[in-house]
Amino acid sequence: MAHLLVTALHLEAVDAEQLDPDTPLFGTAPGSLALDSIDALEIALAVQRKYGIELRAQDQVTGQIFASLRALSAHVQRCRVHS
Amino acid sequence: MTTLFVAGVGCWAPGLEGWATARAVLRGQTPYASRAVAVPAPERLPANERRRATISVRLAFRVAEDALAGTDLAADALATVFASSDGDTPIVDRVCRALCDRLPSVSPTDFHNSVHNAAAGYWSIATGARGPSVSLSSGDSSFASGLLEAMGIAIVEDRDCLLVAFDVSPPPPLRGPCRIGEPAAVSLLLTQRRRPGSLASLRISMVSPELETPMRDAALETLRRTTPPARALPLLAMLACEAAGSVRLQGAGGRTVALEIGTF
Repeated sequence: MAHLLVTALHLEAVDAEQLDPDTPLFGTAPGSLALDSIDALEIALAVQRKYGIELRAQDQVTGQIFASLRALSAHVQRCRVHS
Repeated sequence: MTTLFVAGVGCWAPGLEGWATARAVLRGQTPYASRAVAVPAPERLPANERRRATISVRLAFRVAEDALAGTDLAADALATVFASSDGDTPIVDRVCRALCDRLPSVSPTDFHNSVHNAAAGYWSIATGARGPSVSLSSGDSSFASGLLEAMGIAIVEDRDCLLVAFDVSPPPPLRGPCRIGEPAAVSLLLTQRRRPGSLASLRISMVSPELETPMRDAALETLRRTTPPARALPLLAMLACEAAGSVRLQGAGGRTVALEIGTF
């Protein structure tokens, strides 16, 4: 998932191997990747292409799913198990 | 005819990376050696915008920064004109390929970059510029049409104006209709009044068709003819040499753009 994000978002100076799974993806907290709305759409597209899982903006849990790399990975894992 | 002044010049083209390098070549102080153009790193773009910036946006930014370097003009006070013959053809190619996928879905970043005024958008975000901005396309005469537009804006809107002309090589499927050779970008910073450091005065008019001013160096003439921003090279050569005189550029609609360059 870290590699997917770094590639899909063209993240500069971010080493996928070194990315802390609990790093906040959005927002201005210290250490956050400070991604924005275009990134959210790009992540949703990349996840759909790679895993066939749809992330919808209107879903109430989307905010939690996008909280960190760990939360996003866990959601994708759950969806794959249930599909 | 109104006279404007050139406060700065930018250039990023094969073998002419940066105005300082281009100036030395165009003055005959350094021999011209064409080489693959390096993708520049814009300095003014915030990180989130920089990582999304395409090669064409990076070229446009680099020459805009080049023209502003050494002047005290505030970027956010300038009007802007961005001129590109074919726009961002690599993005057109990516969007078309995405639409042909088994699961048609266009990357939001590619969509964001697919508009013809993408470079203008990045520039206004980066500099906070809220002045008039025009993004135009005029084939091989894109630089000349952009210059005409920029001079018109400077006079009518009573603002100093930054002109940026840029083009990138099209990907293989688009090489038939789009005939751009090497990526290149050129910029001019035009002011209404002569300023300390102004390079030249400039007057423009549209005249009946005349032959374009060529470059004497064969390799530079090839560059001039094969990438639309490089049509500016005869003007840049006069600015580099601090020479007064005339330059003829191919204009839109079969007409010729006549430039009169004055020195101080």
